[in-house]
Amino acid sequence: MTSDDTRRERSTPPAAAADIPARYSRQVLFEGLGAEGQARLIAARAVLVGCGALGTVQASLLARAGVGTLRIIDRDFVEESNLQRQILFDEQDVRDVLPKAVAAERKLRAVNSLVQVEGVVDDLNPSTIGRLLDGFDLILDATDNFDARFLINDYAVKNGVPWVYGACVGSYGLTFPVLPGETACLRCVFESAPPAGLSPSCDTAGVLGPIVGIIASLQCAEAIKILAGRRQAITRKMQVIDIWEGRQDLIDLPPRDPQCPCCGRGVYEYLQGAAGSDSVRLCGRDSVQINRRDGAKLDLAEVARRLGPLAKVEVNRFLLRADIDAYRLTVFADGRAIIGGTTDASVARSLYARYIGT
Amino acid sequence: MAIQVRIPSVLRRQTNGEDMVLLDGVTLGEVLDGLEARYEGLRGKLRGPQGEIRRFVNIYINDEDIRLLSGPTTPVADGDEVTIIPAVAGG
Ligand SMILES: [Zn+2]
Repeated sequence: MTSDDTRRERSTPPAAAADIPARYSRQVLFEGLGAEGQARLIAARAVLVGCGALGTVQASLLARAGVGTLRIIDRDFVEESNLQRQILFDEQDVRDVLPKAVAAERKLRAVNSLVQVEGVVDDLNPSTIGRLLDGFDLILDATDNFDARFLINDYAVKNGVPWVYGACVGSYGLTFPVLPGETACLRCVFESAPPAGLSPSCDTAGVLGPIVGIIASLQCAEAIKILAGRRQAITRKMQVIDIWEGRQDLIDLPPRDPQCPCCGRGVYEYLQGAAGSDSVRLCGRDSVQINRRDGAKLDLAEVARRLGPLAKVEVNRFLLRADIDAYRLTVFADGRAIIGGTTDASVARSLYARYIGT
Repeated sequence: MAIQVRIPSVLRRQTNGEDMVLLDGVTLGEVLDGLEARYEGLRGKLRGPQGEIRRFVNIYINDEDIRLLSGPTTPVADGDEVTIIPAVAGG
């Protein structure tokens, strides 16, 4: 569906108030939304990129709010150290080594069966982004790295889809919506990503649950306004919060920059990143992700048999986990792997080649 | 009086935990020179080799974006408040 189709569809008359399920009564009572706004939410389609700290809060709020179709994309699996802030997950998910997108989908179905929830275990990169994001009214940023955010920005500006940036580290977080053609895009505000090591990361600075909850909630507030068609209510500012010092700033966004490579000149450098890099260091994880470029499916049972004599191997429907020496290899059926125990891409690549294949 | 520079929490490892630094200067660039002289660890985090403000950091003087003023040559006066907003990656 093109974005033009999406717009036309959203402008069709919404359902009558009587058709709105009673479970949304408190939201319908809210003057800013009403039955008409709720009907728009029910007809809306939102996609969440990432289902970690920000994503679990967003997914929970939007599913409860009745956003009719939610796709949740995540490349990772649930670990014990996630539970401090990733509010959809529990200890059983850790024991089951569930992919986050799968665990989230299960939880959300139990939360609101009226909503279509689709968890997708995949990595967002230039070659997957069209397939993963096409056909949605709104994109929510719940990623943990700059590359993914700039990639979302390119896609959103190019296709005229609104998105909501949000990011946190330590006790600090910030968010603003990007309305293509109307407001500054991410590259108008922060033109480029910091080189590795120049930006504090959750690797070094940690993160508190409450700041993530606040930023994700602010993102959802904007999402609800956008999806309900309440454009005048959108907060067209950057909200910057530090919960350790109790500071909140509302900062004017810059005007759109005619020289902005993305929204000014229409050069989508991140989308053109072709296959991108075959390995990515994962934030705060002592891990490297290896992407398999050919996209060939792996037979996880076969890999498990092969590694059986060498390693402690666990396998479920979604992934295989092998503990070899000091490393933990988690391999998904699409051939993607997360190599734990190193942040060195070359070490990770050689482990992948040795144990999984080339 | 002097210029007050607010250090965001994510950069405070470089300022030994200081959240507010008082500095003198006639331009923003001079204030940042003073800041980097006092806290070596901040060198390179806010400005590039030519003294240009890094594109992943936004700096405001009394809530005005310095890119809409005159960048590092923007004049500053006693009592001005400089705010640094870095982009962050977590989530
Ligand atoms: Zn732009």
